[in-house]
Amino acid sequence: MSPRQRQKWAIFGLTGPAYAWLAVTIFLPLSAMLYCSVLDVSPLVPRPASFTLANYAAFFQKSFYLPLTWWSILLGFWTTLFCFLVGYPAAYALAKRVKGRWREALFLLIVLPFWSNALVRIFSWTMVLRQGGFLDMALHSVFPDAPAFNLLFTYPAVVIGLVHSYLPYMILTCYVSLQAIDDSLMEAARSLGAENTTVFRRVVFPLSLPGVISGAVLIFVPVIGSFMEPRILGGAKGATLGMNIEEQFTVTANWPLGAALSFTMLAIVLVIFAVLYPILKRRGVWA
Amino acid sequence: MTEISKFRSLGRSNRRQFLAGATALGVGATVLGAPRIARAAGDVKVLNWQGYGTDEAWSVDAFHKATGNTVTHDYYNSESEMITKMRTNPGGYDVVVTNCAWNNIASKEGLIQPLDPAKIPHWADLNPAFRDSPLLNDGGKPFGAAWVWGITAIAYSTDVFKESPATLATLWDPKLKKRVALRDDGIEAVSFGAIATGQDMNHPADLAKVKAKLLELKSNVALLWSSEDEWNKQFAAKAFDISVYWSGSALRSKTQFKLPVGYYVPKEGGIGWFDGLAVVKDSPNPDGAHAFINWMIDPKFYVEWATKVGAPASANPKAMEALPDSDPSKSFYSDQEAIKRLQFMAPLSDKEKQDYSDLWAEVKTAFAG
Amino acid sequence: MKRKLDIGGGIAKTYLALVLLFLYVPILVMALLAFNRSPLYQMPFEFDLVWFKALAENDRLLNAGWNSVVIALVNTVVATVLGTAAALAFSRYQFRGRQVMQLLLLPPITIPWLVIGTAMLVFFYWTFPLMGLRPRGLHAILLGHVALSLPYVIIVVGARLADFPKAVEEAAATLGATPWQTFWRVSAPIIAPGVVAAALFAFATSFDQFVISYFLAPPGVTTLPVEIYTSIRKGFTPEINAISTIIIAVSMGVMLITARFYKFGGER
Repeated sequence: MSPRQRQKWAIFGLTGPAYAWLAVTIFLPLSAMLYCSVLDVSPLVPRPASFTLANYAAFFQKSFYLPLTWWSILLGFWTTLFCFLVGYPAAYALAKRVKGRWREALFLLIVLPFWSNALVRIFSWTMVLRQGGFLDMALHSVFPDAPAFNLLFTYPAVVIGLVHSYLPYMILTCYVSLQAIDDSLMEAARSLGAENTTVFRRVVFPLSLPGVISGAVLIFVPVIGSFMEPRILGGAKGATLGMNIEEQFTVTANWPLGAALSFTMLAIVLVIFAVLYPILKRRGVWA
Repeated sequence: MTEISKFRSLGRSNRRQFLAGATALGVGATVLGAPRIARAAGDVKVLNWQGYGTDEAWSVDAFHKATGNTVTHDYYNSESEMITKMRTNPGGYDVVVTNCAWNNIASKEGLIQPLDPAKIPHWADLNPAFRDSPLLNDGGKPFGAAWVWGITAIAYSTDVFKESPATLATLWDPKLKKRVALRDDGIEAVSFGAIATGQDMNHPADLAKVKAKLLELKSNVALLWSSEDEWNKQFAAKAFDISVYWSGSALRSKTQFKLPVGYYVPKEGGIGWFDGLAVVKDSPNPDGAHAFINWMIDPKFYVEWATKVGAPASANPKAMEALPDSDPSKSFYSDQEAIKRLQFMAPLSDKEKQDYSDLWAEVKTAFAG
Repeated sequence: MKRKLDIGGGIAKTYLALVLLFLYVPILVMALLAFNRSPLYQMPFEFDLVWFKALAENDRLLNAGWNSVVIALVNTVVATVLGTAAALAFSRYQFRGRQVMQLLLLPPITIPWLVIGTAMLVFFYWTFPLMGLRPRGLHAILLGHVALSLPYVIIVVGARLADFPKAVEEAAATLGATPWQTFWRVSAPIIAPGVVAAALFAFATSFDQFVISYFLAPPGVTTLPVEIYTSIRKGFTPEINAISTIIIAVSMGVMLITARFYKFGGER
């Protein structure tokens, strides 16, 4: 066997299993779902199916899909924004202001909530946010005359729960890119007379942008498809496209419609990325 | 019963209602490629919700001793799954539990066969309102033996309401801002909207009116619940004062959890449902199937089921009479005037189901906006 | 300057403490309610171990927990091995299609889980019965979890390999080490921290993965997150809190032990 051939086999042997796995679990299923989304009869019904675009048309014909979609996108936006506003300073503090053992301990503490169940955390929030809940009790122990406080089944409750679930992602990705910035670079900027704010704006923040972006992607994408958190924390105020998709699979058993809606959601995510891509590329973020 | 095991038993006695709108996902796993198993004579295969009366071990044992028939089970997680299982597994079942909204669908498709009342000695005792209902009869022949029944109506907090509000219109009372709960279920929501606008509950002629009426609930609705447990927790946390609720669950909330719950069938009407026991077409053991159905509507089985485990109301009045006087459901289900106000859940076409589901999605979207 | 930095450090620590408070509020509430007697989570607090006792007898929940652990462990092994192999190929060899293959790692990360989960359900439903398999079950869940973990493993290990001092390997080779020896004696120890980090990530991804498992779990066979969701929808007791409390306590222990061997925060 020539070295060239050997290398070919090595590449094949090393990457083959992983990509075969991805083919079976991601790429073929997506193709199958694309096929399913243009059928007029659910695969569950023993009746011959024919092709139709009605399931995609439904997205535009039924008045509630556009608002649901818009709310899902907004929910993704707010969650990502607040994760950034809360998480970035935390990552900065961790990477640049805390050293040694403290840093390690704090880092572990931030990662640890990942190991508890997301649903239980969300349910715990209902105990905190509701009237007579822990936040209400804490508030009244400080201000006994404060009016009754109830956040449960409101839009902010959903955002709080989601920010809590996804905040560690933002802290981690920002931390990784902030930590990679050499302190001497900041010192150099300062010694050249730059104000602290200028150093941050012109040096630190641009260099950490890749971390911010990857954090935002890791948060925005799952939040757009979320259905569990809005249902538990939002009550009648939580309605998302994800919830409707889930119902097509579990309640009404209309798989083709659910598949079409899933693809529509995917298309929306891709459109958002496509719009953002040139901006990010110009800023050199998407290496 | 300890506090906890009582709490757990919720999952059993109320399984039917929990699952009424639950997952249809289960179809795939079991339907495809399930090999047909050769069965011995004297075997009765039952298709039902899990933990819903027919599979109680003590009863299955006693039935075996009494008749020599062994009872085995297969379960469904939604009524559409029940239909799919019978379609794809002919000759695989003997007895099936069908809801009043599904019995006609099964008989029209030829999935179940007419019953022979002569083989069911307790037949004559059944409440004629259920037994002779068109929902269990087709072409003049009985296709299901009325088994148990229940009500979906209104539960309220007796702390907030000093007396029963008595009307459905109370849900729209402007004073009840954010104090009302509904179940997250399209068919049920449309049913109540239809009742509130004076229409036929199952096939309202004017859906636009139903939608408008439901939309008017927007400022009152706080919560869309989906399970008895969720209802209890939120009620205990005072998240709402009045809600659509199931009769059996309201009774449990009151007796087991000591919650201040009152219950009424509004003067405008309420939703009634009942389950029938049917013999499956091509059943390999029709005699065993009839014997099992008779066993299920026997007051002896019902009293044991209701007192040991907890059960909906029996469609056999003699079984209700046989309950101990201390049993709260005995008086709870005795209001004949309230029963007259019920409309019963009837079969819906696929188009109606999709329309109701879309209507509800639209209303929910408006609630959230 | 020194003084100013210290003040900055103080503010930083205070801020981090507040963020941690936010992160831990629901976890503390969860643990507290595991020890509260009321099945309806009602206050006032009454200490009781009744839910831990109940948990010990709750086969459903324990089985689900056990399934989750097994799947997470198998997932960790499979995803780490396959992912590390692929990452090695990417760092070692320049070849046609390499960039495309790396781009293909993005879909599992950038497509909502809801979409992937439902797509798997549809695909498995059509194809698995042809091979005599049930379309849903633990095998399907495992397939899905590995798919989600693989891209992360490849990226994390790949990042570590990018800093890999190639000269060391070459030196070993020049000194007569076989490729196998070079890998185990030289390369493996260097990339180990990356692999460990990737493995921890893979474990966490699987252990808390809900959406995909939800669509791929048949009735009666569940993982812990699915069981918890079903319970939250259908009825549950503080046993859920009890098992969650145990899990986070165990995780904390595992993290502390791992932390003794590996620096996560990175030293600088």
